[in-house]
Amino acid sequence: MHELGIASSLIEIVLDTANANGAKVVRSVTAKIGRLSAVDGEALKFAFDAIKEEYPLIAESVLIIDSVPVTGKCNKCGATDTYDEMFFACSKCGSYEVELITGEELTVSEIEVD
Amino acid sequence: MKTVNIQEKILTKNEMKAAEMREKLKNVAVLNFVSSPGSGKTSTLEKVLVMLKDKYKIAVVEGDQQTTHDADRINATGVQAFQVNTGNACHLEAIDIERALNTLGYDLDLLIIENVGNLVCPAEYDLGEDAKVVLLSVTEGDDKPAKYPVMTRAGSAYIINKIDLLPYVDFSVEKCIAYAKGIQPELEFFTTSCRTGEGLDKVADYIERMIKAKKA
Repeated sequence: MHELGIASSLIEIVLDTANANGAKVVRSVTAKIGRLSAVDGEALKFAFDAIKEEYPLIAESVLIIDSVPVTGKCNKCGATDTYDEMFFACSKCGSYEVELITGEELTVSEIEVD
Repeated sequence: MKTVNIQEKILTKNEMKAAEMREKLKNVAVLNFVSSPGSGKTSTLEKVLVMLKDKYKIAVVEGDQQTTHDADRINATGVQAFQVNTGNACHLEAIDIERALNTLGYDLDLLIIENVGNLVCPAEYDLGEDAKVVLLSVTEGDDKPAKYPVMTRAGSAYIINKIDLLPYVDFSVEKCIAYAKGIQPELEFFTTSCRTGEGLDKVADYIERMIKAKKA
């Protein structure tokens, strides 16, 4: 349960960006969360909604979670895979030498403002 | 309405503090020991640190909800230890390490952090360490690396402890290693027993390698 800390860091970035762009109100915030980032999207939304009330600029905003699947490439045979579970064996050759391409993201990607 | 593109990584306060600690400890090997309660973190450290204490300046930060039992055990070996009681928290945070080092000092070769026994939350809190050392005892089941994949993924070394009990339990070391490798292929594995002493010298070698890497 470290989503509260992540929500407050996220809000800091959003407020700075909104102010730098002369925004009057923030409509939405989009965050990219990789499945491996150990962040629970629903818990993050809950924390975001709890904190946003304190800031008029974002009080009406919606947090949109962009979930990123875990994808990787086998260093042995070159095959690419999408993984539903945290177990990264190449589906073609069985090797564990898989390099992850996506799934570890934890970023604010964009905000919509007026 | 307009869209402002950001693409900025979300860094928590803990991650910022961890980065600060990593900078302050750039010549010190920092190892974060994590496991379930009762896997043998303290017992392993008691035995292994004795092998290294005459050669290197070592300190240990002990994390538990309550009691100073673990710090007392480490102190009894002649290695200085500092106990952090986390109260209701289930993990250590980087700021706890800073507080401990205010007492222990930074003039060290090796800092060992023994985290609170918990395989979930400590995986998510960077303490400024160079490596997470994950411990698992053979009474816990060989599929544990797969049940707690975030911690397995975060690990650099994996110690399978209490191997003297292997004849009495249905634990396959091979299966355990295969589960763990499927999640983190770069893991280095050790099999140990604090009762017989088997394998502990290899763990000491690993730690010594980490110390030398930080000095280079």
